[in-house]
Amino acid sequence: MDMIYLIFLIFLSGAVISWLAGKVNHVLQDILFLASVIVPSVLFYMNVSVGQEVHFKAGGIDLSWGITDFGWIFSLIVLGLGVLAAIYSVGFMKGKERRGYFYFNYVLSIMSMLGILFSKDFVSFFIFWEIMTWSSYLMVIYNGKHTQSIGIKYFIFSAIGAYAMLMAIVISHSVTGNFMIADLITAYPVLSFNLQLLIPILLLVGFGVKAALMPLHVWAPGAYSNSPMAYTSVFSGALSKMGVYGLSIVMLSMISHLPEGFWFREVLAWMGAITAAIGTLWAVKQDDAKKLLAYSSVAQLGYIVTGIAIGTELSILAGLFLAVMHAIFKSTLFMAVGAIERQTGTTNFTEVTGLIRKMPWTFLASLMSIIALAGIPPLGGFVGKWMLYESLITSDHYMLIILVFFSSTAAFLYCYKFLFGFFLGQEEKEWAHVKEAPVLMVIPMLVLAGLSFVLGTFPGLILKPIDAGMQALGFAPTNQHLWDTSILFNSWGNQVALQPILYAILGIFVVFTIFLTIKGYKNTRYVTTKDISSSGEVPKEHENLTFSINFFQPFMRAVEPVMRRQIDKYYNGFANGLEALFDFTRKIYTGNGQTYAIYVILFLIIMLLIKNNVFG
Amino acid sequence: MVGTPVLLVVIPLLAAFLIPLLGMIWKELVRIIPGLVLLYMFILSATLLNQVLHTGPIVEVIAGWRPPLGINLVFSPFSGFLVTLMTFIGLMVWIYSYRFKQNVDFEPAKKYFILLMMLVTGSVGIVLTGDIFNLFVFIEIVGISAYALTAFYTERNSAEAAFKYLFMGALASTFLLLAIMIIYTQLGTLNMADIASKMPEMNTTYKITALVFLLTAIGIEAEMFPLNGWAADAYTESPGPIGAAFAGIVAKAGVYAMVRIIFTMFDVDGTMQFMLYIGLITLIVAETTALRQDRLKRMLAYSSIGQMGLIMVAFGIGTAEGVFAALFLMFNHAIIKPLLFFSGSYLVYNSKDKFIHETNGMGKHIPITSILFALGAFAIVGLPPFAGFWSKLSILTAAADENMIIIIALILIVSIIELVYYLRVVNRIYFFKMAEGVEPKKPTLNALFVMVTLGVIILLVGFYPDAITGVLHKASGDLLDKTKYIQDVLLLNP
Amino acid sequence: MDESLFKYIEFSIYGASILLILIGLYGALVKKSLIKIVIGLSIVDAGVHLIFVAMGYIRGGTAPIFSPGFENDASRMVDPIPQALVLTAIVIGFAVTAVALSLVIRLYKHHDTLRIDEIKNLKW
Repeated sequence: MDMIYLIFLIFLSGAVISWLAGKVNHVLQDILFLASVIVPSVLFYMNVSVGQEVHFKAGGIDLSWGITDFGWIFSLIVLGLGVLAAIYSVGFMKGKERRGYFYFNYVLSIMSMLGILFSKDFVSFFIFWEIMTWSSYLMVIYNGKHTQSIGIKYFIFSAIGAYAMLMAIVISHSVTGNFMIADLITAYPVLSFNLQLLIPILLLVGFGVKAALMPLHVWAPGAYSNSPMAYTSVFSGALSKMGVYGLSIVMLSMISHLPEGFWFREVLAWMGAITAAIGTLWAVKQDDAKKLLAYSSVAQLGYIVTGIAIGTELSILAGLFLAVMHAIFKSTLFMAVGAIERQTGTTNFTEVTGLIRKMPWTFLASLMSIIALAGIPPLGGFVGKWMLYESLITSDHYMLIILVFFSSTAAFLYCYKFLFGFFLGQEEKEWAHVKEAPVLMVIPMLVLAGLSFVLGTFPGLILKPIDAGMQALGFAPTNQHLWDTSILFNSWGNQVALQPILYAILGIFVVFTIFLTIKGYKNTRYVTTKDISSSGEVPKEHENLTFSINFFQPFMRAVEPVMRRQIDKYYNGFANGLEALFDFTRKIYTGNGQTYAIYVILFLIIMLLIKNNVFG
Repeated sequence: MVGTPVLLVVIPLLAAFLIPLLGMIWKELVRIIPGLVLLYMFILSATLLNQVLHTGPIVEVIAGWRPPLGINLVFSPFSGFLVTLMTFIGLMVWIYSYRFKQNVDFEPAKKYFILLMMLVTGSVGIVLTGDIFNLFVFIEIVGISAYALTAFYTERNSAEAAFKYLFMGALASTFLLLAIMIIYTQLGTLNMADIASKMPEMNTTYKITALVFLLTAIGIEAEMFPLNGWAADAYTESPGPIGAAFAGIVAKAGVYAMVRIIFTMFDVDGTMQFMLYIGLITLIVAETTALRQDRLKRMLAYSSIGQMGLIMVAFGIGTAEGVFAALFLMFNHAIIKPLLFFSGSYLVYNSKDKFIHETNGMGKHIPITSILFALGAFAIVGLPPFAGFWSKLSILTAAADENMIIIIALILIVSIIELVYYLRVVNRIYFFKMAEGVEPKKPTLNALFVMVTLGVIILLVGFYPDAITGVLHKASGDLLDKTKYIQDVLLLNP
Repeated sequence: MDESLFKYIEFSIYGASILLILIGLYGALVKKSLIKIVIGLSIVDAGVHLIFVAMGYIRGGTAPIFSPGFENDASRMVDPIPQALVLTAIVIGFAVTAVALSLVIRLYKHHDTLRIDEIKNLKW
């Protein structure tokens, strides 16, 4: 049997077994769960090479699986993150109910994502896509809250996307006569103009939903924040990247062959940038860390989409690099929030403060990820953003760069809020008992944080496979003229050498730390929020004086007009209108048997009257 | 050789009359005999189906009168496939209802199983017969037993549902008789193959009038909009397993009759489009109505009507792929809908009104039933990797090949609606708190066996669709080959 | 028999049966009483049966029986098939009416009324 089958078989049986093992022993269940994620991942990297393919038939349809260079980049995200988050999950799920349910859906999600990357035909692509959808849906409703609102909304949007994709798939089948993705790509340039427009639009709707692209993003904040944090790190880190994967393939191998593709790219790039701006503004407004990160994910995905949509070598490089980096730092942040939630029971900034001394490792991981998110050197986000800006400037998208720049600056606000809200500030008595999260949860966070550090200084490590993937899609090699292991070259003849930056910043950091330790540490007095007596007013006991309340009030007031129109409200109004309409139309079934008989007679009479028009 | 096709009609009819007599000998026989009969029928039809897939149709002549004079039964790959499916569902219904609710007592059980036998006789007869008047008789047999079965529970509103069903059924039989009369006076024959071969000679006005009467009559049985007012009530008020039988057996027979008429007997243009559009309207109206239901079985009923509409759409596409998709849909619907009715019955077992909110929190108390319901729900909306996906893919592919893009879009939009109401129920089962005073009822062993069997089939077809597609391809080829049907029946060598 | 009279009778039989169908439909679709609806349906049935038998009749036809003393030409026999069919249909119609009436009894016990527009617990 081919190794590829074995990998999927292990995933599938591992999912079922790690569910059922919960009935026997919890430790055994944890071990089986880890094994069913790690073993196939190891098998994949050891035994499956790019270009290897298997073919088989199901239901009379030719199916074919194999990994491409391009898919291989994403497999790093899926499996790397999958393994680390799985280790984290074991710690996270300790003592929680529905562990089997969680493990089952977790393994299936990882399997389906890998399957998407493996699919060379649309049918298995769609099957894995849908398995991914319902396994993630089951995770979104894991805690049983908001199942009928957030859960259903997520599934409806996913279904809209999936069915748009399915429509594109069957249309492409009617054109090419089979379901192979490669055949559609080959046939695409010679299709009729209508189909040349229709197929990519439908596919983009399908992928745009998962990538949380602007008018289709409304499910994301709820779904990300409602699923257990151990899964959200995969959800936002890897699962949303499947949308990016699909978008890239459509944009790079179909639209780029279209003379009119220019407009497509512009529109998509703008949608990405607007998504980034809106997501950032909403993220700033949130008081709940989960929601904040969820909106931040939406925003970050916007950058990635913009990068890919622009379509120059540099911008694609930037988009894909950001995709990898976002997977790393956002999942770390979600893990940190999960750790805080587990230890304190809440994720609200206005309730939890001053955790820096209680959870130092979590703080360290969050700090590094936040720095990466904000795009400050020497961490990974910087490289990606730098390349994105450069590509926007060199391709003359000046309006876009203003928007992107605005949102990435506004992102500092929520980065600050996240860090400050949880970790800094006064320590409350209420949280005096809080301890650091279990070791199983801390290690994955630190590993990921370390990764974003390493990749920030040596981006070549990840740019190399990305470059290979882009070559597989028909781009020229970019090594040596756009990047080297630790250096970025730009079109103005300069270069950004990352190692010196790292040393400089590390030096400043060390000096600053020494200075603080010597000078300030001894004289510090810890006070609680209630320990104030300004203007003679003594705060009441139950009053919440945490500074996170109304943190950015002036800023929010300034941007309020932009945020007043929520797309979500239109969708809800539309859905309510439809339900009311259906409530009205179902009154056709009056309940009176005689009415039904009259329908029959009327149908007969009408048919007899128009019979010569209907039947020839 | 296990038997001939005629036994498929004779044995259950005989059993229906023998049940009360045998019940006098030993009361348990009332329950056992139907099971044995259905098991025999299933084995027989499966064997015959296996045979006809290789050798071609069996045409059975009754009482030695060769067609077109005498009555004949045609066991072709198409009809044989449906009969096998029906007898299988019949068997499942029997196992499930062995001691279901009132069937524990002797008297109700006797009536129940007599009527069930008649229902199976009629449905199998509709599919097998090659004679249009026989079709009428079998439809009436199905009708009368179905009215009585709908009214089986005296304490519910079942009499109301049964009366509506009967009202519509009586109109249907009237129109059917009128149509038969027109055809007979014009062509002088009642044999379907003979009618089909003589059809080009018939005066167009008469032909189309007869077609309209036939479509109206059969449309009532096949739950076509706007003739399906009775259907939701009958599904709702009949006992749970009978709802399954309606969905899995009776509705299938109705669609068969319609397809036979349109594909084989008549040679009129526009019938395909008619079927396509009326199916689409049925689908949309029924699914949107299902969205707003607050009673579980009524929701399932409207969903079932919607599925029948989808099947009509698939037939209406008219190509070989379309017919293949329609047969696949029929198969899936016949497997999945009974599973939903079976498990749904246990989810609201002790409830009087069968409200959807009474399923809240059942997942904890009856886990296997709940997960099978969820499986069925996922499967019927066509989520991969379950059985429903392949049929949905095939109908969409068939439609795309004919460039029916609007129709694809409508089918998919309706699928989203379907998804919403099924998910709402599944969420309730698993994530809501059970209300006070609701008593979950653990399924009996035989019910569990049936549900698990159907669930396994759903998974099997989902992961390995080739298990069924070979048969379906032959069956659809058989239906589309009209000349061969006529030759097989009329040029029969004794 | 006189040709024109025959034509007149034939015509009136068709007319009468169509009238019966219409009367029956009127009863079934307009009258609110369950009993009247059932009666209406029976009348429709009767009309259809009548028209069917009338269709099978040939002028001056004889009974379709081969027996000594009646060695008729087969072409002059009345078509026996419609009669057989109608006989079957009558039996079926009888059974349906019986079931219908028993349901009406059940409905009356359950709802205390025979008006069909008041019996709609099942709707929408």
